[in-house]
Amino acid sequence: MDIFLQQTVNALALGGTYALLALGLAVVFSIMGLINFAHGELMTIAGYVLMYCGIAGVSFVVAVPLALMASVIAAVLMERIAFRPVRNGSGATMLVTSFAVAMILQVLFQNLISTRSQPVLLPAMLSDSVHIAGMVIGVNKLAAIVATIVMLVFLDWFMKHQKTGIAMRAAAEDFAVARLMGIRANTVIAGAFALSGLLAGVAAVLWVSQRASVDPLMGFMPVLKAFIAAILGGLGSLRGAVAGGFLLGFIEIYLSAFLPPEMQEFREPIGLGIVVLVLLFRPNGLIPSATLKAEKV
Amino acid sequence: MKKLLTLTTIGALLAAPSFADTLRIGAATAQTGGLAPYDAPVMEGIHIAIDEINAAGGIGGTTKIELIEKDVRSDAAQTSIAVQELVDTGVSALILPCDADPSLAAIGIVSSAEIPAISTCASSPTLPMIGGDYMFANFPGDNVQATVSAAWAQEQGHDTAYIIYSPDSQYTTMPLYFAEVFEKMGGTVLGQDTHSIGQQDFSAIATRIAALPEQPDVIMTSSYEPDFPSMLKALRSAGVTSQMIGSDGIDSPTTFSLGEAGEGVVFTTAGYAEEGSPLEAFNAKYKETTGKDSETVFNAVGYDLIKVIEAAVLAADGSTDPKALRDAIANLENVQGATSAITYKGTDGMPVRQVSLIRVKDAGREFLGSPSPDAALIPAPRMQ
Repeated sequence: MDIFLQQTVNALALGGTYALLALGLAVVFSIMGLINFAHGELMTIAGYVLMYCGIAGVSFVVAVPLALMASVIAAVLMERIAFRPVRNGSGATMLVTSFAVAMILQVLFQNLISTRSQPVLLPAMLSDSVHIAGMVIGVNKLAAIVATIVMLVFLDWFMKHQKTGIAMRAAAEDFAVARLMGIRANTVIAGAFALSGLLAGVAAVLWVSQRASVDPLMGFMPVLKAFIAAILGGLGSLRGAVAGGFLLGFIEIYLSAFLPPEMQEFREPIGLGIVVLVLLFRPNGLIPSATLKAEKV
Repeated sequence: MKKLLTLTTIGALLAAPSFADTLRIGAATAQTGGLAPYDAPVMEGIHIAIDEINAAGGIGGTTKIELIEKDVRSDAAQTSIAVQELVDTGVSALILPCDADPSLAAIGIVSSAEIPAISTCASSPTLPMIGGDYMFANFPGDNVQATVSAAWAQEQGHDTAYIIYSPDSQYTTMPLYFAEVFEKMGGTVLGQDTHSIGQQDFSAIATRIAALPEQPDVIMTSSYEPDFPSMLKALRSAGVTSQMIGSDGIDSPTTFSLGEAGEGVVFTTAGYAEEGSPLEAFNAKYKETTGKDSETVFNAVGYDLIKVIEAAVLAADGSTDPKALRDAIANLENVQGATSAITYKGTDGMPVRQVSLIRVKDAGREFLGSPSPDAALIPAPRMQ
């Protein structure tokens, strides 16, 4: 029972990080229909800011907001430079553009910073653990859970009570009508990118605090997980992204924890098999978006 | 194709009966992508060695080295394309990427062109086995490294071990060699776990190990960044205090900047810069040429590779004929490189080189020695 609880805490922490990542993809997708595969590179940028802050001796408390700011700015720039010109292109055009942005950034990191991964100095506190009710919980796990809760509450408030948030929800439902009501497309889309940059930044801090290093290609894996989580939850639906992220985290941790040793090698295919199974029963994801229905033939 | 090769070979032979004026080396290595963290520093070392030799008038004072470089983007198919292009330009020796898989992708071209090829830093002992006569490695084999670390663990009185490995690459299965040697020496392996490369979260594994009825004395893994720091931190924050043993993949600045969690980690690598050692001299030279400190032993490993080719040209009486070079490399003994003396004679292409044991202490290196492993204990290469 103890172990089960302990693994559940692990799953919550991992699922929370996935949820933030998937949300970042979903916010942009719900409005533009673009799956931004360069989302991971926003994390890499935030990671490099943490690294340079560590080298410059900037305290972690200051470094984190700087990293978040960097990824928000990078996200807005990304939209302005790369995605705005192809906004009216087909979904495939935007998808390929996002791959191109990701690759260009990766090569730039490799050439301008280093091909090798660079250490990030982290406060020793993050490697500590606390004892709660007989469980040993790492401080970075706790931070992941708290950060996820804070971000979800913030997002909920932003989407419900902030003008930009409400505009974004309206745009997600029907962009054409929303524009007729006087909502500026540029503002809404830039806002969505800024929000996804913020989510990427928070996820990056959590991600980097575990791995203690940044490398030019580090964005690939998280964006892949986020993509799976977003599909699992229902593309374009924010609540779905959260549900998908948590479910993916739970699937991964529980399989890793409770699959018999001789089956462990097949953990990933089994995990993805479960995802496929869920999609067989709920083809539009766990909590599908009301407006983006997959056509069934 | 073959005709062209014969022609170029004959051409090269006619042009230079004894000492040729240039030795053309083709490097098909990964300057971008997942292998770039290893290949890029190796290439730096290669450049330093070539510049040094050429500045002194070339190999034997006469044969200048010409390096033709191609980026293979860490891709197996691209490696074989690049190698074909290099073969077409008439190179005498080839340098292949730091991993057995892309290197093996080029093996068909290498063997039919009969040009010796050396992987920059692949350490899987299966590479020259599958690769055949023309394929050479340039790093202590995985099975040798595992033997050194298992023997060290036993010497320290550690009787129980746990291994964490990844079946995703040959290199990350090194713990299986470790387990084999450790058990052969009388130790007990309490269990094993697998992960995938780039997994990020190790909390489930850490929780399971922490809950074992008996804590292992040592935990061995050959995972590297970013997996290794995540794994280590997860284990430590779950309360696991076992001695961690790693391998050359974690010979990187990150390992020394992990703070409290990193202290005491022991790993095997290709060399240690003792005072007055060739590696120390190389590091000084590296700083002089590039203006920065060498971050990794892979710089020196690149220097070693050119030293091996230089020694082979000298042993072949200055010939740059690929076949003569292959035979010369296969018979090299005690070539002094930057990291160690290197011997190919009597091996199948996996060199005998020194393995150094390093412990992380006060965020720096503590040298534990370079023990010669007992040949009887070294496990046979395991085909996956």
